[in-house]
Amino acid sequence: MRRLVSSVVLAFAMVSAGAAQDRPGPDPATRAFDLERRGQYAAAAEVYRSILVGRPGDLGALLGLERSLTPQNKLAEMLPDLRKAMAVGQPSAALYGLGVRVAVVAGVPDTARALVARWVVVEPNSEAPYQEWGAAALSARDRAQAKAAYQLGRQRLGDAVLAGELAQLATIEGDYESAVREWLAAVSRTPGYRSAAVSLLGRAPVTGRPTILRYLEAVRTGAAERMAATLTIRWGDPVGGVRRLERAAAQIGEGMVEALQDGLDEVRGASGREAGMARAIGLELLGAKIPAQSTRYWLESAQAYADAGDQGSARRMLGKLAADPKASPTMAASATSTLVSVLVAEGKMEEAAKQFGQLKAVLAEEERQGLQSRLAEGWIRAGKLDRADQLMAKDSTIEGLAVRGRIRLYLGDLGEAASLLRLAGPFAGAREAAVSRTTALALLQVIDEDSLPTLGAALLKLERHDSVAAGQELARVGGALPPDRGGAEVLLLAGRVQAGAGNRVEAERLFHLVTDLKVAASAAQATVELARILVATERKPQAVEMLEQLLVSYPTSAVAPQARRLLDQAKGAIPPS
Amino acid sequence: MKRRTFLEIGAGSMAAAVRPRGFAGRRAADYLLVPMDEGQADHLKAYGLTFRLLERAGKAEWFLNYRNGSFLLPGDRVTARDAALAGVTVEPIDEAAVFQIKAEIKESNMDAVPLEKAPKVAVYAPPSAAPWDDAVTMALQYAGIGFDKVWDEEVVGGKLKTYDWLHLHHEDFTGQYSKFFLNYNGAPWLQDMVERNERMARKLGFRDVPADKRAVAYGIFQFVDNGGFLFAMCTASETLDLALASDGVDIAASFADGTPMDSNATAKMNWDRALAFQGARLEQSPSLALFSDIDGHQVNSPDRRQPLGTFTLFNFSAKIDPVPAMLVQNHRQVIPDFYGLTTSFMKNRLKPGVTVLADEPGAPWAKYLRGERGKGTWCFMGGHDPEDPQHQIGDAPTDLSLHPHSPGYRLILNNVLFPAAKKKELKT
Repeated sequence: MRRLVSSVVLAFAMVSAGAAQDRPGPDPATRAFDLERRGQYAAAAEVYRSILVGRPGDLGALLGLERSLTPQNKLAEMLPDLRKAMAVGQPSAALYGLGVRVAVVAGVPDTARALVARWVVVEPNSEAPYQEWGAAALSARDRAQAKAAYQLGRQRLGDAVLAGELAQLATIEGDYESAVREWLAAVSRTPGYRSAAVSLLGRAPVTGRPTILRYLEAVRTGAAERMAATLTIRWGDPVGGVRRLERAAAQIGEGMVEALQDGLDEVRGASGREAGMARAIGLELLGAKIPAQSTRYWLESAQAYADAGDQGSARRMLGKLAADPKASPTMAASATSTLVSVLVAEGKMEEAAKQFGQLKAVLAEEERQGLQSRLAEGWIRAGKLDRADQLMAKDSTIEGLAVRGRIRLYLGDLGEAASLLRLAGPFAGAREAAVSRTTALALLQVIDEDSLPTLGAALLKLERHDSVAAGQELARVGGALPPDRGGAEVLLLAGRVQAGAGNRVEAERLFHLVTDLKVAASAAQATVELARILVATERKPQAVEMLEQLLVSYPTSAVAPQARRLLDQAKGAIPPS
Repeated sequence: MKRRTFLEIGAGSMAAAVRPRGFAGRRAADYLLVPMDEGQADHLKAYGLTFRLLERAGKAEWFLNYRNGSFLLPGDRVTARDAALAGVTVEPIDEAAVFQIKAEIKESNMDAVPLEKAPKVAVYAPPSAAPWDDAVTMALQYAGIGFDKVWDEEVVGGKLKTYDWLHLHHEDFTGQYSKFFLNYNGAPWLQDMVERNERMARKLGFRDVPADKRAVAYGIFQFVDNGGFLFAMCTASETLDLALASDGVDIAASFADGTPMDSNATAKMNWDRALAFQGARLEQSPSLALFSDIDGHQVNSPDRRQPLGTFTLFNFSAKIDPVPAMLVQNHRQVIPDFYGLTTSFMKNRLKPGVTVLADEPGAPWAKYLRGERGKGTWCFMGGHDPEDPQHQIGDAPTDLSLHPHSPGYRLILNNVLFPAAKKKELKT
């Protein structure tokens, strides 16, 4: 209300300013507004006061004076002007509002209360007098006065009145039980309050959350369940939130679709497996609620389940789709494509290959290649390199070359692997895959042998997440190679694998071994790896000594920037990362 | 190309890249030139390299305006090793090259300023201050410049006279806890700050924290007056002057000293006692985290907050005005601005005689100031962290290894080396 009146007055002042151009000099209202706009508040206030001398009830001048005194922190000085204004005829609602604001800032709550009482006589059924009083008190950080204002309003106007205001106040005060009660009343009266309620309650500290959920559970209405579900999602339990909606379907009734869509919106910003699962469950429930669009929701749900790693549920969704006569051919193809991915993830390679064989003719070229690569990856992980090789043999796309290069690498055909990986280049596929390919290529460059099946087998173990065995085999292969012809590099990789698997002692032994071999590039990298372990295990002085030696001995090494950053960390020169 | 040939080329180049080029086999140069232009790998650590040389009683020269404020260091092995460890770019040069550079300096707006003694540095901070919440502390730590921490007890006890250089950051010398008291009421860090300050005030015999801080401000004033060098950033600059000018006037809100601020405080201020500012109007609201209209940006006032722009360093004559010239040595002349509780200084609030070192062209505020008081010098810079322009409470700390060329941080480090300059060479 206050903003509205101010805007009207501003508009009036601007119109006045325009009109004044035709006259010899600006009128006082225009002059005051111009001063105010230029930030000369003291001068503006003087001019507004000069207007009030002749017209003490001029609302435009009074509001201008309020705007000019507020930035000077002198609003309280306006009380005499207001008294004069009130004495001129029947005050308007806007003038009462101004009076209440000034009285609160001036620290005279009795005057504020008296003004509200007079205002109520003019507008007996309006919440505005209490809202104005409470808002002014909150601006002045006087929560007790704000509460008194709202409670007075409720006493006069009825139970659910001013629930939004009281809810906000209770939330600020940390009185979560009252806050929830008031928010529910506010939402029941005005559903638009729901997002404000969730937003404010959502910021409750961890200690206050159980109280909120307990209260919402006890209420057991649809609105309470929806609020509880959204808050549960927001507080880090997305699956719990969506399941809560599922359980409360009866209470929520017709609002269930909207509630599920709200829940999905809430989950959208989150990442990770739990968020993916919540999304999948939500889509599944939505599919059941909207039969006309069930195929689309179930397909999306299947993909979300598959991405979240729940292949069983993904298959269940796909099964529903397969049995659905409404599914279009495109939808069916997408479903089968998802099914192939699910089967690959489950390790059911024969079945995946069979489905792919039936499907590939109807797939678009790009989709077919993507699925084929995924299938080949599955064969690699299953250890069936010949099947993977056979599948990819004719694929000359960049991604295909990258997969073929890895297959040759795991077969120990280092010469062909290096050629294919180089042809694939450093950009194909996801960033992680590209980095891994470049790392493999760097390793191959220093090894003389064109064929080394033991190295391939060790790297395949690594690919299959058997880190301990891979580390041991890499150490054996590295030990057998000449140090300056790949031996040091392979030992370095073995050390990194052991460090990644958490075997610090073995990792340290291997890194020391590499530094002792004195093959420059590997020795420098092994030193950095060693120092990293030393810093992590609070042996910082040793790390500092080692890194300084490295930087002095190999100042132009490619690892110098890493070493220097680690040195800064060890010395406490930069924040721990 | 056959794989073998490819591999040999690859291996050869890799070996070359990591061939040991340590110091054992290298002949020491006569001098090391530390370029401070775009060719420098780590501008910030270059200051630490020079500072540590001075600590070892070595001698250096600061070539003002030559390659953006380069340093000339002796070419001994210890210095060369230190440069390699810090990742600072150095160019080994001989006497003839130095002669040539000095000839160029003589003919241009440049100067060679001898640096001869590492200043003893103190940072004013509470004992339990967060280690990564102060731009100067971070710059000193990153550059490898040693410093001591001092707080109220040391200042009031007169310990400052044992230091050459004192730094203040976001301290509130009005004793109002940066006026966060109402907005962050209940926050553990604020409770801790209040409790610690009240305990210290009691220990030193002051009736309240504002009285304690005013005494500390006066101790700092005396430090400058007696020849010390003061560098203050953020709120410390503004509130130091407010505390100095408010002797006998209650400018603190009731949450700090039990009584409300004097409603006529603005009129009662005595600006003769202040270092940089005059005629400021004080902020009366206890809940607004603002102190006065000295700050041009008013970051915590929704109505008055100004957007960030860029500030430009002034050019000074290196031969006639070496002090301001030293303070603005940089490889960038235009620098993005950054907020702080005090971000900038309104020019209409500056005392006559204050030198503006940087401002935002067209804006009514300055960013970087210096002046003299008694035998000493002070320097004020607005803003909190040059590499975190919107700094908020709780933000992750700035990692300077990611900003080794920060021009804003260079300005801070110019200040640290400035007191090392040989006094008789200074013409202002």
